[in-house]
Order: sequence, then C-alpha cells, then structure tokens
Amino acid sequence: MSREEVFEKLNEVFRDVFDEEDITVTETTTADDIEDWDSLEHINLMAAVEQEFGIKFTMGQIVTMKNVGEMATIILEKLA
Amino acid sequence: MNITSFAFLCFFAALLVVYYIVPKKTQWGILLLASVGFFCVSGEPWLIIYPIATITVIYGGALYIHRVKEQKKKQIALSLIVVLCVSLLCVLKYFHLGLLAPLGISFYTLTLLGYLIDVYYELGEPETNILKLALFGYYFPTMISGPIIRYRDMKEQLFVAHPLQYQNVTYGMQRMVWGFFKKLVISERMGLVVDTVFNNYTVHSGFTVVIAAVCFTFQLYTDFSGCMDIVIGASETLGIILPENFDTPFFSRNISEYWRRWHITLGIWLKDYLFYPLLRTKFFTNLPKKLKAKCGKKTAKRITTYTAMLILWFTIGFWHGGVWKYIIGSGLLHWFYIVSGEVLEPVWKKLKTMFHIKEENKGFIFFQQIRTFVLVTIGLVFFRAENVKAACIMLGSIFKSWNPEIFWNGAVFDLGLDWIEFTIAIVSLLILLVVSRLQQKESIRARVARQKLPVRWILFYALLFYVILLGNYGPGYTAAEFIYQGF
Repeated sequence: MSREEVFEKLNEVFRDVFDEEDITVTETTTADDIEDWDSLEHINLMAAVEQEFGIKFTMGQIVTMKNVGEMATIILEKLA
Repeated sequence: MNITSFAFLCFFAALLVVYYIVPKKTQWGILLLASVGFFCVSGEPWLIIYPIATITVIYGGALYIHRVKEQKKKQIALSLIVVLCVSLLCVLKYFHLGLLAPLGISFYTLTLLGYLIDVYYELGEPETNILKLALFGYYFPTMISGPIIRYRDMKEQLFVAHPLQYQNVTYGMQRMVWGFFKKLVISERMGLVVDTVFNNYTVHSGFTVVIAAVCFTFQLYTDFSGCMDIVIGASETLGIILPENFDTPFFSRNISEYWRRWHITLGIWLKDYLFYPLLRTKFFTNLPKKLKAKCGKKTAKRITTYTAMLILWFTIGFWHGGVWKYIIGSGLLHWFYIVSGEVLEPVWKKLKTMFHIKEENKGFIFFQQIRTFVLVTIGLVFFRAENVKAACIMLGSIFKSWNPEIFWNGAVFDLGLDWIEFTIAIVSLLILLVVSRLQQKESIRARVARQKLPVRWILFYALLFYVILLGNYGPGYTAAEFIYQGF
C-alpha cells in the first residue's frame, strides 16, 4: 500500500469516527486541528484505524503518536 | 521542612551556591544528596527505607522487563510490581492503619511506576545507574507534591551539566516569589475563613457557607498552584525545567477542560497509564460490540467510555485520600458533571438556539466560567468538610437562611478576617486575576523581561515586599502545611 492510499483510507476512518464529511487529514494534522479529537476519542480512533488496516498499535505508540504523518508511518511499517 | 519556611530558604540558598561551584559532572549527585537530606529533615529519617525499597524494585524490574524476551514474562513482572507498589501506597496512605507514610509517597509512586510502564511500553531504554533513577524518583522539588515527571522528558535535563545562567536564576526566583505571594498572602488568609466556618459548620448557614466554600476553592488553588510556582521556580534556578501543573483552570468553560488545566500532570499520568490501558482491555474493546445491537453504535460507544471514566474518576478521588468525601468530591461528582453534560448536550443545544446564544459570545463564556467555578466549589465542599454527611449538611444549610445582611452589618468580618485583612485578601485576589488574564495572552515573565531594568526591579521588589509585609506566616512564623502535601 502506498502512503497516499494510507491517507485516503485514514480520511475515511476520520470522517466516520468524528462524524464529519469534510475532514481531510495531512502529514501534519494533530489533535489540535480536529475539534472532537480529545483524549477520549483518541482511543476510539485508534481502534477504528486498527480495524481498517488489520493491525494492532502498541500502547507506547498510542500515547506518543504526535501527528497523522507519524500514524501513517507506523501503519506502513506494520503492513510491510 | 516546609517550603515556605525560613529553614527551606536557607537550605535552598546553600544548595544553589554548592550546585554552581562543584564540578559540573557532579551536579546531579549534589541534587541527589540534597533530596535525601530534604527527605530526612522533613520527617522521620528511617522512613527513607520505603523509597529505597521502591526504587530498588523499580530499578531491577525495569531492567528485567527490558531484557526478557517473552511478552508473558514481561507482563507478569509488570503486574507484580504494580500491585506491590500500589498495595504499599494503599496500606501506608489510604487504609488509615496508623502507619507513618513517607513524604510524597503518592507522588513518587506514580512517577516511578510511570517510568516502569514506559519501559514496558518500549518507550526508551531503562536507566542502568540506580542513583540516577533515585534522583529522578526523589528529586526534591517534585517530591513534595508534584508535578509528576516523566523519565523520558526529564533524563536530558536531570543528569547533564548546568552552567550558571542569569536568566534561569532570575526567572526562577521571580516564580518562587509569585508562589509565596499566592501561598502566604492569599491562601493563608482564605484558610482563616475556611477554618472558622468548616470547623463549626452546624452554626453557619446561607451566604456565610457560600463565602467559606468560595474561600476554600481559592485557598486550595492558591495553595497548590503556589506550591507548584515555588518548586518549578526553585528547579528553574537549578537549570531544570519542570512541566507545568496548572493552566489557569478557572477560566475553563466546562469540567472536562478544567481537568485538562488543573493538576495537569496527574491527568496525563492517569490517561496514559490507567485510562488508555483500561479501554484497550478485552472487556472494554468488546463492550461496544456487544451493546451495538441493542442500542446503536453511538450509544454503545458512549456507555463504554462512561463506564471506563467511572473507574478513572473513582481512582482520582481515591488517590486524594481513600475516603468517601474525596471519592465523591474529587471523583464521582466530576464524573457525573462530565457525563450529564454530554448526555444532555442536545438539550443545551436547543436552549442555546432558543435564546439565540452564540457560542463565542463573551457573556456566555463568562457564564460558563462561573458555572465551572460553582461546580468545582461544590465538589470541594466535600473535599474540605469533615465527611460526606457534614458536606451535605453544609450544602443544604446554604438554602436554609437568606442572610445577605452579613455583607453590610459587619458579620462577614467575624469569620477570621477583619476589614483590613479582608481588603488585603480581595486586592490580592484581584492581582492574581489580572495576572492570570494577562498570562493567557502571553507569558507574564516575557512581558516583564521586556521592560527596562528599573521597572523590572521595582516590580520584583514590590511583589517581594508585598509578600514579606503581608504574608500570613501563622503562629510561630512557620506557614501552615501545604494542603496537597498530605496527598
């Protein structure tokens, strides 16, 4: 899967989790950029991403992930 | 040793001199010695066996978890150590068995467990030098009442050379004086009113109780955040920048935001090491799937989070003292606020459109801030009252009499502060309010630093003398203990 494809899929997950059709995430998107992305939603988001890609994040990754770009990198590593 | 005592200031001044004249490589060793010394003179020296035992277990545990390959073994080791440390904390602190608890046990336990769990999460290498780990766990400014530090954030700072820098020392000292101002000028005064009313709660009612409750909220905030200013400032003079623990919490628009701005490092700790792991357990990941068929995706998700939050808030309350008044006042009540706020959101939305209230309207924001303050204050009545029953009686007694006359017949000056003292308290609170407002826009110290030298010194000395002259040192010139030190 290419990085672009990962982002495309991530967009779908984000739109679904945050219930907003016009979300588009980029490399630098962080929790500050999406209104409902707080510590509660974070864990739901993680679960949704895991389900979409069929992967499992470690707790360490969950608590240190800084932006969506980092998330995509981890996803690609896990898929490789 | 109380950090507002003269003894502490002497200790600190001596440390500062020694710290900057010894070879830079040994600076962290000096800090460790100072921390051990601080511990020993603050209470029973033999109690240091507890932190020594904890550090040894955590040190060995982290090395083991890092080295061993099988996930199962890692998990068992981690669980055993967590159970051991938490049980020790509960036995010494929360079960009230009459045992002496070492200073700062609830803080250093969390700090060290955080480190151990980070190693388990594979967020960095374990520390191989036990003395360095000891300094991290018992660094004296944070030992008293936080902030709860993280090894991965602090290791770059704690063990490296810190040459003397003018800015660190001046900024740090300014910050300390600001903390003394909050603690000695405001908190101690508020405490007089609070004690008068809370200690004789059966004879007070109406506005008197309201005043005392509001005073306690200010007392606790200025006490705890003042303590943080002192320790963060003290640490800054040593060149070590600690994380912030408060971000003007009473400007929060709702309770969730309040908890992101009050005791910040505790919130982060609980999120990373309790709340997230809890939500990732089998039980909590399967719960929404089970509930989905019955009540739909959204509700299923909500029920799951609210259940996990219930456990989280119970823990926060329990951590404060292990009895119901804390469990309710600093825990379950806040859970109720947050959950009811979310569940009733459609209702609020309707009301807002009905009354044409705009989200960013200044008046509305102010209303929300006052609401936060009121809700927090209700919780703190439980926190301060003798027990849950006393808190309920006090809250009920507010509505038992209508006595606004206390504001003009002088009765308000019989609560522990005469009119002069009362005026000092109000003026000081206004100074705090203005500075906090300015702080929201821009760092107050950066603003001060831009001023010309004479202005800077006048500001600094004005505050210093304000504190020296108006500080309420209590009987025998030793300030009352920090409220949060007991936790």
